[in-house]
Amino acid sequence: METSSSLSFLLTIPLLAMVISWVIPKALQRLYAIFGSALILGLTVYETAGILFSATSEAAKVFFVDQRLEWVSELGMSVGFRLDGVSAWFLILSALTTLVAFSTRGSWYRKQPRLFVSMGFFLLFALNSAFLATDLITFYLSYEAVFIPMIFMVGVWGENQKASAVFRFFLMSFAGSILMLVAMFQIMSMHHAATGQWSSHLADIMKVVPNAPVESLLWPCVGFFLAFAIKVPLVPFHGWLKEVYVNAPMPGTIWMSAILSKLGVVGVIRFVIPLFPAVIKEYQGPLLAVSAVSVIYAALLAIRSSEGKTLLAYSSISHLGFVMLGLFSLSAEGSNAGVLLSVGHAVTSAMLFFLLHQVEERSGNVDLSTSKGLASNYPTLFSGLFIAVLASVSLPGTLNFGGEFLVLLNAYRASALCTILAATGVILGAVYMLRFFQKLGLGTPGSANHADVALKKDLSFADLLMVILLVGIVIYGGINPGIFMKG
Amino acid sequence: MTAFEPWMLLVVSVVVFCIGLLGLILRKNLIVMLMSIELMLNAVNLCFVTFSKMHQLLDGHLTVLFVMTVAAAESAVGLGLVIAMFRNLRSVDSDQIQLLRD
Amino acid sequence: MITSMILFPLAGFIINGFWTLWAARNGSRVSSRVSGAIATSAMLAAFVSAWLARSQLPASGSTEVEIFRWFTLGSLSVDFKLRLDALSSLFTLVITGVGALIHLYSVSYMEEDEGAGKYFAYLNLFCFMMLNLVLGGTLPQVFLGWEGVGLASYLLIGFWYREEANVSAGQKAFVMNRIGDLGFLIAMFIGYKYSGSLDLATIEKVVLPAGVGTSFVLLVFLACTGKSAQIPLFTWLPDAMAGPTPVSALIHAATMVTSGVYLLARLSPVISQSTTGMTVIAGIGAATALITAIIACFQSDIKKVLAYSTVSQLGFMFVACGVGAFGAGVFHVMTHAFFKALLFLGAGSVIHGLHGEQDIFKMGGLKKKLPVTFWTFTAGWAAILGMPPFSGFFSKDEILHQALVSGSGSVILFSVLLIAATLTAFYMTRLYWLVFFGGPRMDKSKFDHAHESPVAMALPLVVLGLLSLAGGFAGEPVHLPHPEAVRSTPAWIIMVVSVLAAAVGATIAYRRYSAGAVSPEAARDVFRIDSIYSSLFGGGLKATASATQWLEERVVQGLIRLVAAITDLSGNMIRVLQVGSAQAYLLMMIIGLVVMVIYFLKGVAQYGNF
Repeated sequence: METSSSLSFLLTIPLLAMVISWVIPKALQRLYAIFGSALILGLTVYETAGILFSATSEAAKVFFVDQRLEWVSELGMSVGFRLDGVSAWFLILSALTTLVAFSTRGSWYRKQPRLFVSMGFFLLFALNSAFLATDLITFYLSYEAVFIPMIFMVGVWGENQKASAVFRFFLMSFAGSILMLVAMFQIMSMHHAATGQWSSHLADIMKVVPNAPVESLLWPCVGFFLAFAIKVPLVPFHGWLKEVYVNAPMPGTIWMSAILSKLGVVGVIRFVIPLFPAVIKEYQGPLLAVSAVSVIYAALLAIRSSEGKTLLAYSSISHLGFVMLGLFSLSAEGSNAGVLLSVGHAVTSAMLFFLLHQVEERSGNVDLSTSKGLASNYPTLFSGLFIAVLASVSLPGTLNFGGEFLVLLNAYRASALCTILAATGVILGAVYMLRFFQKLGLGTPGSANHADVALKKDLSFADLLMVILLVGIVIYGGINPGIFMKG
Repeated sequence: MTAFEPWMLLVVSVVVFCIGLLGLILRKNLIVMLMSIELMLNAVNLCFVTFSKMHQLLDGHLTVLFVMTVAAAESAVGLGLVIAMFRNLRSVDSDQIQLLRD
Repeated sequence: MITSMILFPLAGFIINGFWTLWAARNGSRVSSRVSGAIATSAMLAAFVSAWLARSQLPASGSTEVEIFRWFTLGSLSVDFKLRLDALSSLFTLVITGVGALIHLYSVSYMEEDEGAGKYFAYLNLFCFMMLNLVLGGTLPQVFLGWEGVGLASYLLIGFWYREEANVSAGQKAFVMNRIGDLGFLIAMFIGYKYSGSLDLATIEKVVLPAGVGTSFVLLVFLACTGKSAQIPLFTWLPDAMAGPTPVSALIHAATMVTSGVYLLARLSPVISQSTTGMTVIAGIGAATALITAIIACFQSDIKKVLAYSTVSQLGFMFVACGVGAFGAGVFHVMTHAFFKALLFLGAGSVIHGLHGEQDIFKMGGLKKKLPVTFWTFTAGWAAILGMPPFSGFFSKDEILHQALVSGSGSVILFSVLLIAATLTAFYMTRLYWLVFFGGPRMDKSKFDHAHESPVAMALPLVVLGLLSLAGGFAGEPVHLPHPEAVRSTPAWIIMVVSVLAAAVGATIAYRRYSAGAVSPEAARDVFRIDSIYSSLFGGGLKATASATQWLEERVVQGLIRLVAAITDLSGNMIRVLQVGSAQAYLLMMIIGLVVMVIYFLKGVAQYGNF
C-alpha cells in the first residue's frame, strides 16, 4: 500500500468525484455526495492504514511516501508531496469533514446543487494537496486553491451579509497569503544565493535556510507566521472569522472550523518551526503569550455571544489557541499533543456544527437569548449534542482531554505563567458551553416556535449513524488517544 | 527626379500610421475606428517590407503575411462585434458604449 | 474483583442509558422498576466485589491491576490501572455499600418519575466515576473520576431540567468544581515536572522543594475546596439540593464531597511536607466548619440545613487532615457517610410523605405518622451530635482530640471546632424537633395524608440507622501516619467537653422550639456570601467579557475596517481614471508608450545602447 501510486490516487480521486458530479442528476446530488465522500473516507483510511497503524511510532516515522516531480526546473519549481503520520491524519480528517458537511440539508442542495457538490470535492482535493505538499510552490498553489470553493460557498449560499463576509474573508486571508508568497521568494532566493541553484522543495531549502543568520530570517518568518496566524486564527488576527462563520452556509462553516483552520496548524508544523527554529526560539515567550491570550480572549467573547454559531466560532478560536500553545512549546511532545488536539477539535467542531445545524432545522434559529427547552422533544439529537459539548470542554474520557492535557503538560515546562493563564480557559469553556447547551436544550420550552417544533422528528436514521460515528471517534480517542499520536 | 529611397517609404508609413492613430482616438464611429486600425496595420506592413528591402532579408515579408492574415481575422471579428452591438444598442457611437464603467 | 467492581456500574449505565435513549426516541417510557432493579443489582454486585477484593487484600500494601495503556508521549506514559489498598478499599465499600442502599431507596422514591431510566443511568455513571476516582492508579485517572463525578453531579442536580433554576444550580456546581479542577491540573503539571511521572505510587514519594511543595499542596487543596465544598468554593452545595433527595444523600453527602479528603489522605506523604500548606488546610477547614454551622442555624428548608451541615462536617474532616491526622479525617468520612446519608434519606422520606413539602416550619408532629423514619432519624441525629455510643461520637471526638494535641493543632483550632459542634447540636435539634414533635403546622389534609414510606425506602433507613449506631466501634478503619502529640490532654476530658457542648446546643434548641407555638422563621442569608460572589465574580466575569467585546468591536474590527478603508480609498482614487471610453484608455496607453520610449531613448543616449 505504501507506494507512491497511493499518493496520486489520494489526490486524483476527489478530482474524479468532482468531474462525475457534473453528470449526476440534481435530485441525486446529495446522495451522491454523501456516498462519494464516504467512499473517499474509506479509501483514505485504507490507503494510509500502513502508516497510521504500524506497531510502533518509530516504524511510522520510517513509513512515508515521498514524491517529487520537476515542473519548471529552470526556476527550480517542482511538485512535491509526502505522506507521513501527520499528513495522513489530516487527509482522513478532511475526508471525514467533507462527509459531515455533505450530510447537511439546506439551500445548497436546492440552488445549484451541482456547483455545491463539485466545489466540495474540489475543496477536498485542494486540502489534501495542501496537507501533502512538501514543495513551497505546490503548497502555495493548493493553499490558494482552497479559497476558490470557499468563496463560492459563502458567496452563493451564504446568509444575509455574505458580500461583506466574502470581502473580509478574501481580504484577510489574501493579505496573509501574499506575505507568505513574498517570504517564500525570499527564502528561495536565499537558497539560490547559497547554492547557486533555484529550488522550491522543502528538502533542499531545509539544508540552507535554518542555518542562516537569525536577522535575515526574521521577516520571512513573520511572513509565514502571519499567514498561518490569520488562517488559524490567533488573536488579534481573527477579525474576519465571526462574520464569515455566521454568514457561511452550515457546510462551509463545518469545513472552515474543522479543517481549514488546520491548514494553519500544519503550516506551522511543517514550515514555520522547522524553517526558522532560531527565530521561533527567540520569540517563544511572546508566541506562547499570544496563544494563551487567544484562549482567554476568544473564551470571553464566547461568553458574551448570544447566537449559537457565533459562540461556537469563538470557542473554535479558543481551542486552537491551545493547539498553538502546544506547538510553540517547541518540543516533539508538545507538537504531537498539538496534533492530537487538532484532531480532537476537528471532530468535535464538525460534530457541534452538524448538530447545531440539526437544531436550526427544527427550531428555525439558534438564538441563545431565549431558552428553547428542546431536549425533551429530540432525545437522541440532544444526547449527541451533549457529548459534543463534553468533548468540547475536554472532559476526561473524550478525545479532546488527551490533547488538551498533554498540551498544557508540555507547555508548563516551557512557560508556567502562560500555561496557567491558558488553563483558566478550561473554566471559561465550561461556562460558555454549558450555557450554550442549557439555552438550546434545557429549561421551559419556549412558546414562540413550539407549534412548529412539534411537527418535526428526532434525528433521522442516517443522521443518527453519522452522530454515532463521530461519538465513536470521540470516545475511542478518549480511551486510546495514542492512535492519533504517531508521526 | 531624384532616385527612389527607402526612407521615403518609411515617412509614408509614419504618416499613414499617425493618420490611423488619430482616427482611432478622435473618431467616434466604431466602423471608422476599425478602418483606422486597418490603416495602422498597413502602415506597419509597409514598414516591414521597407526594412526587408533595406536589409535584404525575407523575415519582413513573412511577418507581413502573418499580419495580413491576423488583420483579416481581426476585422471579421471586429465587424461582427460591431454588428452585434448595433443590434443591441442601436448605435455605433463609441461614446454611447460605456457599459464597463464602474 | 477489582475490575469487576467498576465494570458493574458501567454496565448498568450503558444498559439503562441506551434503553432510555431508545425508548425516548420511540416515544415510549422505561419501566422505573426494571431500570431501578438493573441499577441496584449492578451496585449490589459491585459491593460484593468490593467486599471480596478487600478480603483478598494483603495485610499491608496494595494490589494493582493494569487494564490498558491510556496514553504515551515521549517519556510520559500513563496507564489505566486500578490500585486497591486499605484507604481506597474503605472508600469503595462506602461507595458501593451506601450506594446500593440509596439505589434501592431510589427505586421507590423515583417510581412515579417519568425520567427514572435516565436517573438510574446517571446514578450508575456516578458510581462508576467515583470508583475510578478512588481506585485510579495514576493522577490523570483520578482526574477522570474527579471530573466524571462532577459531570454526574451536574446531570443529577439539573435532573428536572425543565426548571431553569435546577439547571443553573447544576451549572454553578460544575463551574465552581472546574475552578478547583484547574488547581488539580496545575498540581499535576508540577508533580510531573518534579517526579517525571504521573503514577500515584511515584508522586506519593516525591520530595518537592520547599516553595514548590507549598504551591503544590495549595493547588491540590484548591481542587479539594471545589469538590468538597470548602471556603471559598462552597456555595454550590446548598444549591445542589435542587436534585432529587437520594442524589443529595449519595453524591452531596456520602461520597463525592468527601473525595477531597480522599485526595489529601492519598497524597498525605507529599501534603505533610508543607507546614504552611497544612496550616492553611486546617484554618480553612475550621473556618468552614464554623461559618456554615452558623448559616445552617438560619435555614428553614430541611435539605438546605442538611447541606450546610454537610459542609460544616467536611470542615471537621479537613481540620483533621490539616493537623496531620488523616486517619481521623477518613474515619469521620466513613461515619459521616452513614449518618448523613441516613439523615438525607430520612428527610427524603419526610418530603415524600408530605408530598413535596420541604419547609421545616410547615411540618411537626410527624413522630407518630412516620415511625420508621422517626426512629432511624433519631439515630442519625444522635450520631451527628456525637452522643456516645453513636458512630459520630468516636470520629468527631478523635478530630477534636487531634486538633488540640497534635503539633500543628492549637487551642484556637480546638475551640472553633467546639463552637461549631455546639452549633451543630443546636441546628440539628431544631430540625429534629420541628419535624417530628409539637403540633402539625401544615394543612390538616396534608397531615392526614402523610404516610410512612414503602419497604424499599424503609429498609435502607434501617440499615443505615444500625450503621450510624454501631459504625463507630470499628475504630479508625485505615492506619495512616499519626501526628506526634505535643500536648498531653487526657482523652476523657475532651470526650466530656465535647458531649457537654453538644448537650448545651441541643438544650438551647429544645428550650427555644419546644415551648408553645413556634413562629415560622424565614431563611436568612446571614453572610450574604452567595450574593457577594455573584456580584464579585459573576459581575467581574461579565465586566471582563464586556470589556473584551468592546475591544473586539472597536479595536480588532476597527483594524479590519481600516484595512478595508485603505483599499477602498485607493480604489476610489484610481477609479477617477476609469472614464469608460475606450478612446480615453487608448490615449492613456499612447501617452504611457511615449513616456516609455522617451525613457529608453534617454538610456540609449546615455549609455550608447540598451
